[in-house]
Amino acid sequence: MPIKSYILHPLKGQKELLISDLKGFTECEVIPAQNHEVVILVTDTSSEIADTNLFNKLNELKNLKHMSLVSGFEDK
Amino acid sequence: MAQKKIDRRSFVKKMAAAAAMTAAATMFPGIVFASEQEQGIPSGNLDWKKGPCRFCGVGCGILVGVDNGKAVAVKGDPNSSVNKGLLCVKGYHQTMCIQAKDRLEYALVKKNGKYVKTPLSEALDLVASKMKSTIEAHGKDSVAMYTSGQSTIPEGYVASKLMKGAIGTNNLDCNARLCMASAVAGFLTTFGADEPMGCYEDIDYADYFITWGNNMAEMHPVLFSRMLEQKNNRGAKIIDFATRTTRSSMASNKSILFEPQTDLAVANAICYEIINNGWMNKKFVDEHTNFLKGKTNIGYGLEDNFKFKDKATKISFEDFKVFLEDYTPEKVAKYSKVSVKDIKYLAAIYGDPNKKVVSYWCMGMNQHTRGTWMNNLVYNIHLLTGKISEPGNGPFSLTGQPSACGTAREVGTFTHKLPKGVVMNEKHRKLAAKIWKVPYENIPSKPTYHATEMFRAVDRGDIKFIWTQVTNPLVSLPKTSRYRPAMEKESCFVVVSDVFPTPTSDVADVILPAKWHIEKGGLYGNSERRTQYWQTMVEGPGETEADAWMTIEVAKRMGYGDLFPYTKEGHVEEIYNEYRQFHEGKKHGMAPLEVLEKESGAIWPFVDGKSTQWRFNAAHDPACDNGKDFHFYGKPDGKAVIWQRPFEPAPEVPDGEYPFWLNTGRVIEHWHTGSMTRRIPVLHKAMPQAYVEFHPEDAKEMGIRNGENVKVVSRRGSCVLPASINERGLPTRGQVFVPFFDENMMINDVTIDAFCPISKEPDYKKCAVKIEKV
Amino acid sequence: MKRLFFIGLFALLVVMTIFVWSKSYYTSQEEAYVALEPETENAILTEEHGVFRRSKFANDYTDMNTDFKGGRKLNDYYKNRAFHGAPPSIPHPIAEDGVVGEKACLKCHENGGYVSKFKAFAPVAPHPEKVNCRQCHVTVNTSGTFVGDNGPRFTRPAVGNAAFVGGPPIIPHQIQLHENCLACHAGPAAPQEIRVSHPERSNCRQCHVLNNKSMTDIGNFSR
Repeated sequence: MPIKSYILHPLKGQKELLISDLKGFTECEVIPAQNHEVVILVTDTSSEIADTNLFNKLNELKNLKHMSLVSGFEDK
Repeated sequence: MAQKKIDRRSFVKKMAAAAAMTAAATMFPGIVFASEQEQGIPSGNLDWKKGPCRFCGVGCGILVGVDNGKAVAVKGDPNSSVNKGLLCVKGYHQTMCIQAKDRLEYALVKKNGKYVKTPLSEALDLVASKMKSTIEAHGKDSVAMYTSGQSTIPEGYVASKLMKGAIGTNNLDCNARLCMASAVAGFLTTFGADEPMGCYEDIDYADYFITWGNNMAEMHPVLFSRMLEQKNNRGAKIIDFATRTTRSSMASNKSILFEPQTDLAVANAICYEIINNGWMNKKFVDEHTNFLKGKTNIGYGLEDNFKFKDKATKISFEDFKVFLEDYTPEKVAKYSKVSVKDIKYLAAIYGDPNKKVVSYWCMGMNQHTRGTWMNNLVYNIHLLTGKISEPGNGPFSLTGQPSACGTAREVGTFTHKLPKGVVMNEKHRKLAAKIWKVPYENIPSKPTYHATEMFRAVDRGDIKFIWTQVTNPLVSLPKTSRYRPAMEKESCFVVVSDVFPTPTSDVADVILPAKWHIEKGGLYGNSERRTQYWQTMVEGPGETEADAWMTIEVAKRMGYGDLFPYTKEGHVEEIYNEYRQFHEGKKHGMAPLEVLEKESGAIWPFVDGKSTQWRFNAAHDPACDNGKDFHFYGKPDGKAVIWQRPFEPAPEVPDGEYPFWLNTGRVIEHWHTGSMTRRIPVLHKAMPQAYVEFHPEDAKEMGIRNGENVKVVSRRGSCVLPASINERGLPTRGQVFVPFFDENMMINDVTIDAFCPISKEPDYKKCAVKIEKV
Repeated sequence: MKRLFFIGLFALLVVMTIFVWSKSYYTSQEEAYVALEPETENAILTEEHGVFRRSKFANDYTDMNTDFKGGRKLNDYYKNRAFHGAPPSIPHPIAEDGVVGEKACLKCHENGGYVSKFKAFAPVAPHPEKVNCRQCHVTVNTSGTFVGDNGPRFTRPAVGNAAFVGGPPIIPHQIQLHENCLACHAGPAAPQEIRVSHPERSNCRQCHVLNNKSMTDIGNFSR
């Protein structure tokens, strides 16, 4: 049951839109930065496959400029 | 206390989030994620109210958890850019002091040598009538008020209005004279404007942090933690330049020890190195500075009625170079005990144009018989290299008390100051008279007594009525062996407002029960010019009252009611709005209450909705208007001053009879005289009593073991303390150190009341003592 | 002339060969020496210094993955200690019995790490400057007792004893010989109950204080 955290960079000026899009995913916890155009995302999925699916869906978000994986934990 | 068990999955998620936040912090210095920290907190039914911490000059934002009208928890305010949710041990436990058993809840009036519980209104009647009758019998200058750098802005403001506007005396001074006066005099002589030009965000950009004679790990711990974070993340370096090895030395990259008082010489040696190695920023110096020199051999203020006025003479850069020939590293190394290599190392750090340097200092440089000079000298170093008023570059004078900036310096609760400007200046008196709605002639134009002289005047019988608020002078003054008997004299009527009984309230004729921090609303201003506002969070017990309101009630009873038309519920806000008028403009505009309520404080100048973080730099400061890249608008010609200041020895140096230097200071667990922190069980148990630190070899020579009682004796008094060897701090050989928080081990009986003739700030760090075994 | 030149050249070569060979031989005879970290026994301000000792690894601790099988719990911690503050006995067999401490023990216990042979993480020694390890830490060679005892019971320091919910816990134990907080409170070898959520903060004693400076309870402050 993977738990991963990412740093997300939204497209210029689209931080709020990105946050509201992310809130649509149940497996995501969003922590926006107060003073930079950066959002931290913590994902908690039930299996490797679910994690890969979520990752692909996130990559398709249109207001996301760049997503970098920071840490990952495998809870066996 | 129920401790919520975090389950493993949420723990892991928090670890993941924390890792991401750390990574983000390395990419974006100063990034803040508030909601994460707020999520991690067990809230229950707690109401979290925001305000500034009661203690040091860092001015952390706190959130107090209130449950059923009682303060039950404290945490750091994650929205505050000062501390970002972190506090120190005093900050976390601060609200616990109000539960102390001996809290003053009712007014006490001394009748026939015993304290009688009196209704507050009666006590205030007595205070007002006594003040009035003393003025009638002996004149306006026979009454005095002594306030504090821990007084809120409204408290300081009404005290100033009462004394200077209504009564018409300049007999108002505060305990900030004992901590920041030299810093203020340094700012005014060098820049013409008080308070640092940078802000805490410098920490996120600087490459080097150089601390001059201060122990930030214990005294400004939250800022030190921010510096340590930069040390770990960015490889920033911390250099500890002090007379004693402390916790800060242990955490720093390098610790350089110097002989007390020789900081004056070392600073000059650094200037010599900078000029001689061609590291001077010639363009900056030519465009933005003037060279001046003042008087030398200026005395130490040891005699009553000591007077001094400095005289500035213009000098040329060549004169300055010739002066510095006496301060080559080789010459200075001989008497400062700092090696030539270390002096050159420090100079090279300042001289390297690619390295950003922040200099931090506090009491080591300010509580100094040449404190003003010392502040000037560190500014010289930054001005010669042009490292000033930029993110990560600049001298930063740290404040000790939570509102020495906000109240004492900005409201001006000093004998010579007004909320804007000084009493000696006609324009400033006219402005005060206009805002206060008093006749212009009421405000006296001559300053009277600074703190030390005020208590000397009490001793001589010239002051016959004194009212102290939010301070404990009979533990914190130097040479308390003289001033305690002085306050006990019949000739002076003493009124003390405090939250707890202290050695000062022990000699009072009237004790007024004050509300503690969160029981009254107010405003504080911290070291980085950040004004913070808080509203009443819990009710005070018994008949306790806010100090500002007690001042207003006394003023009304003395017939000045129309000058103090404030309501009890709203007096804090009404007073602040009146006070704001003094500072209108781009150079000192104060943020309106709506902003202070919403944000975790705002830095002044607050111009067009934005805080000015770096002053005097045209890129950051809208008040700069001379078209150049730096404008030191405190001075009429827009240029800062590089002062030629020599080394002069301390008034009392160790000799055959008194062979040790005595240094006094603080510890992280206790705030100043300990009246609040000792009543917090966690802190009292962590540090139950004072002690005297020895170097192990000195202790061995005298046959003193750890914990053994010894007597510290000076020409003025003595104090018995247990010895501490190799525990919290390590003095050099021939030096001892004593913290002053313990009212039962009054080390200020031993210290000397010599002061800097320019700032009038006493030197608590250097006098000569001998050690006797008991 | 030419002959003289060649004789001279060969003579020079022989001399150089002898020189280089003998130098190499004597150098190879020198003892290899691995310098220990310069920690002195008479360290100054041990309580103040210890707090910052491992802080240079603070970021590494924060990034460390502590989500794994085989972490210690406090019960495991106390299994080989008589009481808190007692020197733990050595729970694993030792390779060379005649060696006295130093790198023999510190090679695993100075910085910790996973040891697959024992399927555990090596605990980090909070006082690596004390190199005579076997003076205090002994092996366990039998499981019975010589003569039975009444089983002295020692109370363990309380976990989570903050003054209020969310407050910084007070240090419930003496810190003599454990001045270095991160050694036991962070990293994979740390017992799970006391693992700290913020190892990146280096100045631990800014928020966490000791309350046991006096030998007996001193009660609250009174004038």
